[in-house]
Amino acid sequence: MTFFKKPKKLVQTKNAPENQDSSHETNSQDSSQQTHSQESQPGGVQNLSLNEILTKVKEPFSATEDLLTHEIELPSDKSRIALLYIESIVDKQLVQSMILNPLFVTDKEINFNSFKQMASIDLKKHTEMKQVQELLLQSNTLIFTDDTTCFYAMSTPVKTQRDITEPDNETIIRGAHEGFIENLSMNLALVRKRLKTPRLTVKYLQVGKETHTTIALLYVDNIANPEHVKEVEKRIKSIEADAVYTPGNIEESIEDKPFSFFPQMLSTERPDRVAANLMEGRVALVYDTSPTAHVMPVNFFSFYQSVDDYNKRWHIGSFFRFVRIMGFFIAMGLPAVYIAIVSFHFEVIPFGLILLIKSSLEDIPYPPLFEALLMELTIELIREASIRLPTRIGSTIAIVGGLVIGDAVVKAGLVSNLMIIVVAITAIAAYIVPSNEMSAAVRILRFPFMVAAATLGFLGIVFGFLILIFHLCKLYTFGSPYFAPIAPLNLADLKDAFIRAPFWKQNTRPKDVTAQKVDNANHTRKWDKS
Amino acid sequence: MNSHTITHRQLFFLIVQTQIGVGVLSLPFSLFTKAKIDGWISLIIAGLFIQFSILAIWKLCDRFPHNTIYEILPKLMGKNLGLVFNFIYTLHFAFISILILIMYNSIVGKWILFETPHWVIIFIMTAVGYYFITSSPREIARFFVIVTPLLIVLFVFILYAYTDVHLLYIFPVGQTGMLTIIKSSSDAVVALLGFDASLVFLAYSNGTPAKNIKVISFASFCITVLYAFIVFTTYIFFNPAEIIIVPEPVLYMLKAFSFSIIERTDLVFLSIWIISVATSFISYLFIAAKGVQTLFGLNDHQKGAPYVAIFCAVIAIIPNEKLEVLMWNKYISLTSLIFSALFPIVLLLIAVLRKKQEKGAASS
Repeated sequence: MTFFKKPKKLVQTKNAPENQDSSHETNSQDSSQQTHSQESQPGGVQNLSLNEILTKVKEPFSATEDLLTHEIELPSDKSRIALLYIESIVDKQLVQSMILNPLFVTDKEINFNSFKQMASIDLKKHTEMKQVQELLLQSNTLIFTDDTTCFYAMSTPVKTQRDITEPDNETIIRGAHEGFIENLSMNLALVRKRLKTPRLTVKYLQVGKETHTTIALLYVDNIANPEHVKEVEKRIKSIEADAVYTPGNIEESIEDKPFSFFPQMLSTERPDRVAANLMEGRVALVYDTSPTAHVMPVNFFSFYQSVDDYNKRWHIGSFFRFVRIMGFFIAMGLPAVYIAIVSFHFEVIPFGLILLIKSSLEDIPYPPLFEALLMELTIELIREASIRLPTRIGSTIAIVGGLVIGDAVVKAGLVSNLMIIVVAITAIAAYIVPSNEMSAAVRILRFPFMVAAATLGFLGIVFGFLILIFHLCKLYTFGSPYFAPIAPLNLADLKDAFIRAPFWKQNTRPKDVTAQKVDNANHTRKWDKS
Repeated sequence: MNSHTITHRQLFFLIVQTQIGVGVLSLPFSLFTKAKIDGWISLIIAGLFIQFSILAIWKLCDRFPHNTIYEILPKLMGKNLGLVFNFIYTLHFAFISILILIMYNSIVGKWILFETPHWVIIFIMTAVGYYFITSSPREIARFFVIVTPLLIVLFVFILYAYTDVHLLYIFPVGQTGMLTIIKSSSDAVVALLGFDASLVFLAYSNGTPAKNIKVISFASFCITVLYAFIVFTTYIFFNPAEIIIVPEPVLYMLKAFSFSIIERTDLVFLSIWIISVATSFISYLFIAAKGVQTLFGLNDHQKGAPYVAIFCAVIAIIPNEKLEVLMWNKYISLTSLIFSALFPIVLLLIAVLRKKQEKGAASS
């Protein structure tokens, strides 16, 4: 235990920058734990001496060496105070500027009581001994005084966040280029910035017995269906695990059908996408240590909506939306249709093409299914490799994969020219989905379709699509139908599914969300009527 | 029950999709063998006839709201006789499913997959059917709504025939005589089967009785018109001497068309047609599974579903020669005519005479 007669020696730099705002960020976290109960309960701070208290507090932390204690004797009334914090997650400059400087810098000798009044916003009084651990782990600096019935906590988090950048996997041409980062309060700020309404509600939930992962549950109070909010909250609260690391853990724990290929929550790193979905009456989960947010309940078409659509002229937005949904069918069905045609139904090829196709296929030793599987797997290999490799080597992969393999495989006579075209179109079609999860689902699903086409031809494809579409019809996420404006059919909601109707036509919220207010009060062209 | 209801609009699509099935391909041929070139008139008359059956079914179900045929029968005829009739009806619907499988198998085996063993073709359809009936009528209805626009594609394909038709083929109208025309309309009724699905699905509808009857009646009307259009088109496309040698006139007709992007239109048509067959099959399999549920007192129809599906598939494999298929077709058609079209009228009469009615029924 260190004892400092002259506490100023602690200071590394005298002119510590006033880092006021970073302490505000974690205020919101503290407020949930803030209890003002003055009753002394069994777990409360008892009448022990300061030293005894400190030993007791440090007990659960085993022998960790980054838990530091500083005992200070105040020059004014010779009373003793002790500071307790975890060095690695606390900004020492902040401790200096927020706690030590006010106590010592001023000429006027002040005691702890006057300090308390000065720093009353950031300083919180606690009486529960139980909270010590939690507060310490949340980057608080604890202050113990001679009055051992209570202690004070001040939020002094170390600033470790990266800059706000555009998410790489959801880039758009026009619109905001902001993305979530690995800091909850900043993420919430990004959403709040867009929804300046008092009805935007944030609920903090904690999961993981050891990790204490904080999740923020967001919804707009007077729009979102309370049933959905309750359901999401119930499911998250039921998670019991020592460690919950990633949003993926949460997603898998609370989704309805864990065996479905389709993503049942929209993962996005874009605050504008989250804000728009919140205003449609959906619920969002924002995480502390991950830039990914989840939106629920979503329908199939949510995955095909991009912020870009709404910044284009509506015909163009509609056209690209339509192209994307076509992409879904192309990515899933094109290789299968090709296999079915060349191995079963040669008759459907028009007369002009038949010689071309025949000549291209004649020398290929493998059955079409094998050809297709080979090329599809190659594409997946190239894709995976280009994700894992640093960008500088990535271009090498593109050359090796695209030129060498693509060209050589045809010249070697392993795969037909046509198959390369089919596989290339399929690959492109699979990647135009604005959601990575949906794109992955589509890419996986084309393999069963290829096998079905190779065994039963068109019949196999038809049955494959029947099962697929019916699976989508049967799927529910948080009680709302997944294939929504289509099944159950709602003609009015098709305005934002296959096409993107103009803004002044989008005057109802989607019905599948069962929002409290269906009318979204869109009357944007009133001037035109008069 | 609450979460399984369907709207009256969904009921419309259920009936439409159940009615369009295997019949459509060979209907012009089978009508021609009886009523010659006046087959299309028989079809329209059949369409009128089934409106009476529909009215009877609706009246019957109206007296027992939210009851399926399997719950109505014991109430009408007493417990024991009701059980017997429940068994008969379950078997009847199962055999309609089997007939659909048999006809589908013979068409697919003839037109698309020549080499594939029959049991594979049948089992694939049954497996898909089983997957569908493990869910509630609401989800099935939603699916049927989605696939209905595909009928427009079929319609457009057939419309293309009008580039090469000869209206003179159908003249003189009524050459076979009124009696033959009416007699052969019984064949047409079989092709229009599917309205009988309302015996079960009406119980799930949450629409008012007035809306329900409109919807079922309109669905049958639409299908009658569509079928009449198809039959009429084939009659003016082929000359009467040709039709007799083409057992699937619709497909032969489409086979003749070729576009610059698709050579064999019939294969595309068949692929879409399979969906219509599947929907009819699913409806009847669901109804049969419902019957099994009542017979064995199961909690839900899902438990009996796999056995019904396997039963249908195994029976459907049995006939493998063309004549056998024709024979099965003949007998099952006959029983369908009795149990689906005529018997509901008898049941309604029994209900009226014995004044059987569920409390709370709207009409009285």
